[in-house]
Parts: sequence; structure tokens; C-alpha cells
Amino acid sequence: MNQIHITINGVPCTCAEGTSILHAAQQNGIEIPNLCNDDSVRVYGACGLCAVEVLDDGRGRPVPKLLRACSAKAMDGYVIRFDTERVNRSRKIALELLMSDHTGDCRGPCQLNCPAGTDCQGYVKKIAQRDFRSAVEIIKEKIPLPASIGRVCPHPCEQNCRRGMVEAPLSIAFLKAHAADRDLAGDTYRPEPAADTGKQISVVGGGPAGLTAAYYLRLKGHSVTVYDAAAKMGGMLRYGIPAYRLPKDVLDREIAEIAGLGITMKNHVRIGADVTLEQLRRQSDAVILAAGAWSSMQMRVPGEALDGVTGGIQFLHDISSGEGEIPDLTGKKVAVCGGGNTAMDACRTAIRCGAETVYVIYRRTRSEMPAEDIEIEESVEEGVTYKFLTNPAEIIGENGRVKQIRLQIMELGEPDASGRRSPVPVAGAFETLDVDLVIMAIGQKPDPAGLDGVTLTKKGTVEADPATFLTNLPDVYAVGDLTNRGASIAIEAIGEAGRCAAVVDSALRGEMHPYRAPYYSRKNVTAEDLADREKQPRCQMPVRPAAERAKDFAPVTLGLTDDTAAAEAKRCLECGCHDYADCKLIRYAQQQEIHPERLSGVKHTPEKERRLVCIERDNGKCILCGLCVRICDEAAEKGILGLVGRGFPTAVRPEFRDPAVAEYCKTCQKCALACPTGALKILKD
Amino acid sequence: MSRRIAVGQGSCGIAAGAHKVASALLPLLAGKDITLSTVGCIGMCWLEPIVDLYEDDRLLARLVKVQPQHTAAIAEAVITGDLSGVADLMITPEDNAFLTQQTRIALRNCGIIDPESIESAKQAGAYSAIGRILSAENGMTPEDVIECIKVSGLAGRGGAGFPTWFKWNAARQAAGDEKYLICNADEGDPGAFMDRAVIESDPHTLIEGMLIGAYAIGAQEAIVYVRAEYPLAIKRLEQAIFEAREAGYIGKNIMGSDFSCEFRIKAGAGAFVCGEETALIESLQGQRGMPRLKPPFPAQSGYWNKPSNINNVETFANVAWIITNGGEAFAAMGTEDSKGTKVFALTGKIRRGGLVEIPMGMTLRQVIFDIGGGIRDGGTFKAVQMGGPSGGCIPASLLDTVIDYKKLAATGAIMGSGGMVVMDDSTCMVSMAKFFLDFTAKESCGKCVHCRIGTKRLQEILTRIVEGEGQDGDIELMEELCNAVRDGALCGLGQTAPNPVLSTLRYFRAEFEAHIREKRCPSHTCTALLHYAIDPEKCRGCTACARNCPVYAISGAVREAHEIAPEACIHCGKCMTVCKFGAVTVQ
Amino acid sequence: MNCECSRQHSDLSLLEPVFAEYADVKGSLITILQHAQEIYGYLPSDVIYCIAERTGETPARVFGVATFYTQFRFQPVGKYLIMLCDGTACHVNGSARIAAAVQEYLHVENGGTTEDGLFSFSIVACLGCCSLSPVMMINDSTYGSLTPELVLEILKDIQAKEAAE
Repeated sequence: MNQIHITINGVPCTCAEGTSILHAAQQNGIEIPNLCNDDSVRVYGACGLCAVEVLDDGRGRPVPKLLRACSAKAMDGYVIRFDTERVNRSRKIALELLMSDHTGDCRGPCQLNCPAGTDCQGYVKKIAQRDFRSAVEIIKEKIPLPASIGRVCPHPCEQNCRRGMVEAPLSIAFLKAHAADRDLAGDTYRPEPAADTGKQISVVGGGPAGLTAAYYLRLKGHSVTVYDAAAKMGGMLRYGIPAYRLPKDVLDREIAEIAGLGITMKNHVRIGADVTLEQLRRQSDAVILAAGAWSSMQMRVPGEALDGVTGGIQFLHDISSGEGEIPDLTGKKVAVCGGGNTAMDACRTAIRCGAETVYVIYRRTRSEMPAEDIEIEESVEEGVTYKFLTNPAEIIGENGRVKQIRLQIMELGEPDASGRRSPVPVAGAFETLDVDLVIMAIGQKPDPAGLDGVTLTKKGTVEADPATFLTNLPDVYAVGDLTNRGASIAIEAIGEAGRCAAVVDSALRGEMHPYRAPYYSRKNVTAEDLADREKQPRCQMPVRPAAERAKDFAPVTLGLTDDTAAAEAKRCLECGCHDYADCKLIRYAQQQEIHPERLSGVKHTPEKERRLVCIERDNGKCILCGLCVRICDEAAEKGILGLVGRGFPTAVRPEFRDPAVAEYCKTCQKCALACPTGALKILKD
Repeated sequence: MSRRIAVGQGSCGIAAGAHKVASALLPLLAGKDITLSTVGCIGMCWLEPIVDLYEDDRLLARLVKVQPQHTAAIAEAVITGDLSGVADLMITPEDNAFLTQQTRIALRNCGIIDPESIESAKQAGAYSAIGRILSAENGMTPEDVIECIKVSGLAGRGGAGFPTWFKWNAARQAAGDEKYLICNADEGDPGAFMDRAVIESDPHTLIEGMLIGAYAIGAQEAIVYVRAEYPLAIKRLEQAIFEAREAGYIGKNIMGSDFSCEFRIKAGAGAFVCGEETALIESLQGQRGMPRLKPPFPAQSGYWNKPSNINNVETFANVAWIITNGGEAFAAMGTEDSKGTKVFALTGKIRRGGLVEIPMGMTLRQVIFDIGGGIRDGGTFKAVQMGGPSGGCIPASLLDTVIDYKKLAATGAIMGSGGMVVMDDSTCMVSMAKFFLDFTAKESCGKCVHCRIGTKRLQEILTRIVEGEGQDGDIELMEELCNAVRDGALCGLGQTAPNPVLSTLRYFRAEFEAHIREKRCPSHTCTALLHYAIDPEKCRGCTACARNCPVYAISGAVREAHEIAPEACIHCGKCMTVCKFGAVTVQ
Repeated sequence: MNCECSRQHSDLSLLEPVFAEYADVKGSLITILQHAQEIYGYLPSDVIYCIAERTGETPARVFGVATFYTQFRFQPVGKYLIMLCDGTACHVNGSARIAAAVQEYLHVENGGTTEDGLFSFSIVACLGCCSLSPVMMINDSTYGSLTPELVLEILKDIQAKEAAE
């Protein structure tokens, strides 16, 4: 056979005469996207993804039409590209069309709602199998501090867990903490950093964001130094979260693990004071600002400057940094203003410091409180008094010290833009409480000191590009509470830092790939769809009795056993697609920006059929590539599967009457293995 | 001297009552020396049923719109030779001009010979061309035949216009002894019925054309793939094949030569996509009619993977004439690019609708206005749709376009198989585009992504536009989708499916915009966009509208002006129909 | 379709002459299905399985072919099958009004059969009688130049004829 010479995307290739372009590419190590091709069956040409453009037919002329690489033969001298604008446009719309009729959840709502995109379903499954090590490996792809985050995260994953529509969400956060605790207790998983790149990165701030960025950049082989102004690393996890929620030794061990990758950690270094941004820029290839948001917001009420008025973060920090030294609030009356998690941490900390009465002043009602329910519940158990529908009007002092707080009585009015009913003052209605300490826990903002030359937003946060994380200064990136919208939960900062690390890594390797949210197929599931699921109660995390725990800073929770954890993990509905890792459709779909929603219309009904004893078919995910039908026909020579109907409603249907044929399926399974999406699932028994 | 009555009994003639006329005539002619014969369709469908009176081969009179009650007068006239009793039924010179302006080659025998009699066909010259080719003395080799077809410039009449000789030659050159010649009679374009008329009216011309093709490419078997919806065509073709076999034109050693060819009819089962040649082959093999990838082309690997050649009915109907009259005679007609004649099915809002065969090079205006008599019922010409679901709409400004493959393609329409649907100003071009996309989406085989989902999405967008739910950006989105489907679909049908949308967008974009932005249908066609109102000046308060409104959207006291509640109105138009005072208006 | 088959008991012997003629002719599946539909009026699933067995095709293939073509039906049809053309010419000339008239008069959806089993109604692709548009076929008879009034007359005629029998 004659050899011919072609180029594909600029790469010179040779192949035998008569070879299809797709095979010619394959033989030369180039993958042209395709969904309906399989070497065990005849060429079909349905998916259209393998379209290529021939810029030169070997005689100096372009081929006017796009060619299907699966069927078009390579001709000597062909200059082929499958990355031209025309080809990309064609592939993009083919993928959008396919996705517009593809119903399924690539990933479960837990993962989609995790700001760090953690593969919750993946690690939960490992926990169900009691494979805690593998679970941690999965978690650490996104979270380098799983034992800590498992304890403190307000877990958006659980809020969106579909088990919630059956009886109660899966206890995902505690499962994560359990797996991580098990891992820390034994031979801890520590991934191997890649070969040294010689690039130097400085990270400003050793909180969750800074540590995360450092961790993933170190794993890519870069040298990383983390600078932090405090005495120890950990940021808000250390100084903003009380020890009864996150024991310091857990945090210490996790930070030690991160440092163990070979990351230099320098404490007591405050940017602007001990080192300038300019210096850091000079000595590094990239600087990542992750200094957090440490200033408490003001309420702008009279009396805020009095002695005995403090910020929530300030209060928590002071106690944490005291390193076990607990201020004595015995006999004191404390008012905590705010309804978020910082308010919860502050009020429960105040109780633990011996306060006689602790009020939480909140202008709406309990159901509007942003704090987690469990926190509110436990704080009530511990003796916190709630003053709902009140708002500080004035802090009244005596001799420069707080004496009373005057509260405006509120009522709920019309719903606002967020859908919550907004509080409005009841004219002339006030209440006055005697207090010794007022803690303002209504939010934090960054302190921009030392960030000379960095552009800030109107809010006073650092302005960072959402896709590149770059500030206005070249090679200076910023993530976490410090940036844009300001303070948020730790996992948000971790997620951003992880994505930033990938961008920085790509930039240091020569070509920056800005972050683009990957496309995922999603499915709308209602409680009705899950009505047939058996109810399995959520596991209860054992806690110490309120009377006991309210007196000290030892952990409230006692931890899960392996058995409870595994049983809890088995409650997972496995919403995410079983085939995500091998799905060719999503792999191609994520390679470019697609918007199938603009082509939305009728779809195939996602009904699952178990017609073939061992194979479950989900018509909602089927893309009608016909591979299963053709493989059953041509490769397995059984012809059990067939296409029925025509046009858009076409569907694949098994049709057989001989039970022996179905038995055969158990041994064959070729169709399921060849399926380019998750439409076919092999059932284990 | 003998007299003959010929009753046109194609499908349309029969539907118009030709059978009843023939049955009524039969007893009246008993014992008289008058033959009553069946002929096919002459193409003047608006005049059916048509009865021709002949003396020997001379047409004495053509009687139109004949009903059974006229038969006594007709019998009388033909028996006596005095035609005065049927003077009222005679075709007018104006209507007759429909025929005299045509040049009939493919249709040369249609409506003249008896399709159920090989003798009648032979008298008109059938089988003389194949006879000449196969004659021992001055016969033609297959290469001679192909050369003759090449000289004629005959191109595929199914729509694509590919040179016939080229396909024949490719099949001839293809390796292998077993080859097939296939006639595509799966005439699926809505608005086209040329092929049906030819088979129903002159099946032997088709058979002869196919025999010549089979001889040229070296096929031993010829297959006609006919739509199942054409029962009469199938029946007449079966009869014709039977007679031709009896007469030695089909089978072994045809006319004493070495050439042998079998004939077979295969009825389709209802799938437009089977008009695509590779899908047709799949269907012939008893499979789902899903197109194959090309290459390989059927000429190399077609029916049962053997070299096969596929042409459409009209193409074959020209072949014997070309052999008899020479390729040059055919090529003498037409334009630089398009030779010979083309048959069109002229329908829609046209005064004289029917089958028309004209030399290439005539303008659309000549066909529609001179031959077809223009728009009926006093309407105004708006557009002509050509090429069915693969074609497009040509607006009034391009009526002087010359009928020629290239010139028509330049307008965004195509020559197509010959459907020419004329539209007047009451036709909404958006709903026309939707009509075709409804069609292609329903007829898509479902194999390739672009056609299966792309046409569906186009159809959905068009549907929301005619329902008043169109959104800004829909036009651009449709254009993007159209281009993608055209570039990405697997077969010719998918690739051309966007044409009806693209061409209406090109010439009638403002209508789309009116639907989307103003929620208004300028032709008052799209029900959801109609706004009914009652003119208080004209309303007499008769309550007819209120009583007939299915959703009780009309209120008003007796003898007082009524009013329609716009939010309750479902735009059914019932009020307008029942109002005797013309008080209901629509916007 | 699997599940109903056990409940269907068609007289499969009627297929024998069809098999005798076509079972061994390669590529005859569609032809056999057409004959089967002529015999039974539609394609019951036991007939489909029987055809699969006798032609050596898999049932999946036979179902695949049968469901591809619009000619084939899987439910019994009425004694009179009304096929209303929705080709371009008929469409332009108001086939929608005819459809509405039939549906309103017979209380039948497109693709459905009347309760008395007398009529089935189906909107079909071009019947090729464009010059007489709008057109419909009832069984083998073609009716052209329809108006809503004319259609009702035709339907009433059939009903009267049936009532008389």
C-alpha cells in the first residue's frame, strides 16, 4: 500500500492510501472528536463532530465543504485542520444540538453547588466502601484542608442534596471530616509534587485561600512561599472559628501536611510593614494576594465608639490568639448584633467565657437568619437569648463605657429583591437592654493597607478579574475574602484559590488559560420523581450535652464511627452520571464554550428501562449515535437492539423474546462499553 | 374512418369524476362503432374531467369539466358527428393556450395514448428507440448511447441536475458484472406530481427509457421504486411491465439481442427521505431508509453493494426521445447550462393549474402568467415556491428569472423536481417556512445530529414565531442554525432542509420581523396574531357573534354595539364568519 | 410492544402465502410488512414477531423497519381511513380548515379512530393530486376541491350508507 503525506493541525502525518482522515489522525496520535465511530463497526457518520476542513487538497485548492473525517479518505498532500473557526463553529453547534436533547446530571447537585466543585458523590461512594484513603484523595483534588472544612463548612452541598426531598440531606460535611480524620490518624495521603519548574510564587495570607493556592501550585512543581502577619498559619480558620467547632490541633496537622509538600511558610510578616508588594513582585514570578477580610463592619449607630463595643471578628480573634487564655465574662451581659455564622460563633463563645446573659439582636425572624440551623439550635440549648425583630438604635454609655443598648422594634414588611420580607421599624416602639459588651457581627471587609498600587473596588475590596484572577498589576493575582464581593465562606475562597492556581500555573508555563466554568448537563428533579425512594434517616452526629459543652472550648461534636459513616454514605442517591469520567460527549462539550439553552426545545423523556436484565438504558442521555445498535448487530451479531421511529423521536429499543438472548447480554456488554455517554449502565448483579 | 372517445383518467381526473363519466358513456355507446378509451392525464387539471373526441387520430373536440349528465349529449355528438350539442363543454381558446405554449417531450404521450395498452403506446412510437439500439445492422453500443445522452446535455430531473451521462458512464465503468438500474419514483416533494402523471399516463415511455439506461450501464435488472401513495401508478406500471414482457421487451434476449433485463416494482412505504438515493437503496434492501455516507457512490457500491444507477422518472421519460431524435435536437432547446425541457407541476393560487412542460430558458413569468394565467380569485402574486422542502420562495421582483439550473439556484430556490406552488398575498411566508420545516422535521430519518435535532429546533423557533412568542434574536439564531445544518447534515435532504427558511428570510425578512417585534401577521394568516374587533358603527347588536363565540368573549346588549374582550379572544374568527353586517374586522 | 404480544392472537396462517412468495427473496421485508398490513389492517405485534422468525430477521430489526415508514400502523384502523393531504398546494389552499371540519364533526384527533370504529383520520404527506387541492383519500377513493361543507356531505353519505347496511 502506498504511503501518503498529509498534515493535520499543522502536524505532518503519514498513512496508507485509502485511510480515512479520522484513522490517519489516530495513527499519528491525534484525536479528532467523534462520538459515533468505533472500529468494531462500519462507519456511520451520524454525529458530525469529526468535521474537518481541508485547506489545501494537495493541488493548492481548498475543499469547499467540511468533510466528515470518519468517512472521507485522506489524500496525498491534504492540509487538514479541525481547529479552524468554521470547524469549531460547526462542532460547537453540533454539541449544542446534542446537549439540547440530552437530559441528565453530569454531576450531582452537591458538587455543582460546592463552590470548590468537590466531587462529593465520588468521595461519599468511597466512604460507603470504607475506602477512606481514596475518599481523601478525591477530596484533596479540590480541598487541601478537608478535616477543617468538614467541620466548619456551611455545606451548600447538603442544602442542595436531593436526599433532602426524600427525608433529609446526606451528612456530606461530616462524612468528609470523618474520612479526613481517619486519614490524619494513620498513614496520611500526601500527593507527590511535580518536578521543580524553577518558578517562584509568593502568597500573601495563610488562610484557606492562600494555603489552597500554595498547595496546588506546589503540586505543579513551583516553589511557593506563604507570608502571614499572624503568629500562625490558618487565617480565619484559626482566628475566626472557635476551637469548639474546629480544634486547633486538627488545623495544625492539616497545615503541617500542606507545609510537608515543601512550601515555605513565613509568619509575622505583614505586607506593607515587613515586606512590600514591590519586593515580593521582584523576587517572584507571580504574587497571589489572599490576605482576607479582617475589619468588622460598623453599624453606624450612636455609641459605637464606646468601650465595650467590639467587632465579631475582633472578639473571636482576641480569644483565639490568646492561645487558650479565655477572657472572663462571668456575670456579664453580652449583646451580639447580627444573624450570620460569625454572630453564632461570637454568642456561643461568649457563653463559654461565662457570660450570664447573651443576647442575639436580629432585625428579622429566625427563619430569615443566614446562620445555620444547627448553630442556632445549639446556641439556644447553650442558653443564648434571641431578640428577633429588633435593631440597635443606640448604644448608651456611661463614663465612656457601654451600659445599655436601645433597640428599635421591627416588623416584617413586603418581600425585597432577595425574596425575604424586609424589616421595617415600628414607629415609636423601642426596648432597652442592660449590657456590658456589644459585639457587632454584621460583616467584615478587607484592610487594604500595604497593597500599594492595587486597584480597589467601591467596596474597598481588591479588584480581581473573575476569569484570570489578575489584579491591575501584571503577575499579581488576588483571591478570597480580600477580593471583589468581599467576605464569604471558606469553601468559596478555597474554590477560587484552586481555580486561580490553575490559571497561574498555565501562565507560568507560557500560555494563560483563563478560568471558564465547565458546561454540565443538568436535570430538573422534583420530590415527585423521588417518591419511590425508600426513606433512610440521616445519621445523627453525637454531641456533648449542652450544659457540659457550654463551659469549655472542647469540640461539640464527638465524631462518627466508621459504621455510621459508611451507612450514611450509602444513602447517597448517586445523582451524578456514572459515566462522567468516560463520557466523550461532556469531554468535547467542555472543550469549548457552549450554550445549549439557546436551542432548548422538546427532549426525549428520561425514562430508565431495565429491559436487558443487566443493562439499564436512560433514553434521556441517549444521543442516538447508534453505536449500541450497530455493535449488537455487527460486532456481537445478536441484533437485539434496534432503532424505532424516525426523525427526532427516534429511540433505541431492545426487542427479543428468547430469554437465552438476554442471558447472552450478561456476558457481552459491548454496547454499554462502547456508549459514548452514560445512557447505558451495566448493573452489577 | 372511426370515432373514438378518450376519457382522461389519471388520479386527478378520477378524483374529479372521470370514472363516473366513463361508466355513464359505456351503455350509451353499446352497439355503436365508437371506441371508448382510457387515456392518462393531459395536465389541464383545473378542467378535469376531460373527454376528448377523436376521428381517427384527429382531435375533433376537447370537452372539459364533463359530468355524467353531459354524457348523453356527448354520445349523441360523437355518433352523429354533430358537435353543436356539446359546444358548451368545449375548451376555450384561452384555456387551450395552456397546452399550445408548451413543448412536450417527457409528456409527449400523456393524455393521448391509452396507458393500459401497449399497442396504443407502440402506435405512438414506444420501443422504437430501444429497437434501433438493439438492431443487428445499425445498432448502438452502450458507449454510443452514453455519448448520445452526453451530447443531449440531459441532467437529472429529480432536483440535483447532475449530468445523466456521467452517472451512466460511472456505473458502466464500475467493476463487476452484476449491476442495477433503479428508477426513483418516490416523488415526495409536496406540490409535485409529474412522476405520477407520467407513470399513470405513459408507463411504456418510462420502461423504454429504463431499458436504454440498463443497456447503457450493463444492468440485468431494473427496479422502479414507487411511492405506495400512488396505487393507480403502480397498477398501470404493473400492467405495462406485464405487456412489455409478453411482447418481448423485458426478459431474456430482448428483441432477439444479447441484452437481457428483468423489471421489478417495489412500493415505498412512506418516507420522504427515501428520495435520497442511498436511503432509497437501503429501503429497497428492506431496511430503514437512512442515507449512507458517500463515498462510496452508488455507481461503485449501491444496491446490495453492486454498481447501481439511479435516475428519476422524468429523466428516463426523455431518453427514448433523445435516442430517436438525436442528442443535438434535445440540446438545441434550453440555455447554455440547461438543455431540453422541464416538466413542472403548477399549483397553488394559480388560475390554470396542472402539468406544464416547457423548454429551459423560459421565464417564471411566462410560465406563471402566460401559461398558468396568473393568480386566481383576483389575488396578487407574492411568491412561487420551487423545489419543495429543499427549495425556496422566489418573490415577484425575480419573476423574470430564466428557468435554468444555475439561475434558479442563484435566487436561493432550486429547479427541484418540478413543484411550482404559486402564492398570493394571502399567504404568510413565515408560516410557509414553518410548513416546510414541519415537513422536514417529520421526515428527517433521524440519523445525523444536524438534521434530527437541527430541523426540529428550527421548526420549534418558527412555531413560536407564528404563535406570537417570537423573541429578539430568533432570526439570527435561525440563520446560524440553518448554516450549521446546511454544512453539517449527512445527506442532501438535510443539507437543503434550511433552504425554505433561508430564502424566505432573504426576501421576506420584514414579515418575520413583524411577527416577532410587532406580533403581527401581515397576511392575516397566523391565528394567534390576529386581532378581531367589532366596528360599533356597523354592528346592529344582533348578538349572532356573542352567541357563536366559543369562549364567550363577546358582550353587548341586544340592538347595541357589541365588544370583544381581547384577553379572552382565542382568534378563531367565528364571529367574523357569522356577522351578517361586516362589522367584525381583523388586524 | 413486548407486553401486548401475549394478548394478541392473530391468525398467522394468513401469512403463509406471503411467506411462500417472499420469505426467501432477499430484501423483501417491507413488501412482506405491506402484505401483512393488507391482511390484518395493521401490524399486530405477534405478526411482527412471526415475520421476524420466518424471515430470519431479529424482532428489533423488523420493529425498526416498520416504525420507520409512515405507511405502517400498529393499532387497528377504522373501516374508512381518511387521509387528508397536507402537501404544499393543499396547505396553501386551506387543508387546515378541512382538517378542523373533519375533527370537529367526527370528534377524532389526527391519527385517531372514532369510537364506533368507522373512521380513522390521518393527515398525510402530499398525495400528488395538487391540482385538486385540498384533497383527501378515503380508502382508495380520492376527493378533490374540498370545502368544509363538501367534506361533511361526504362523511354523512358514508354514515348513511353504513346505517342502511
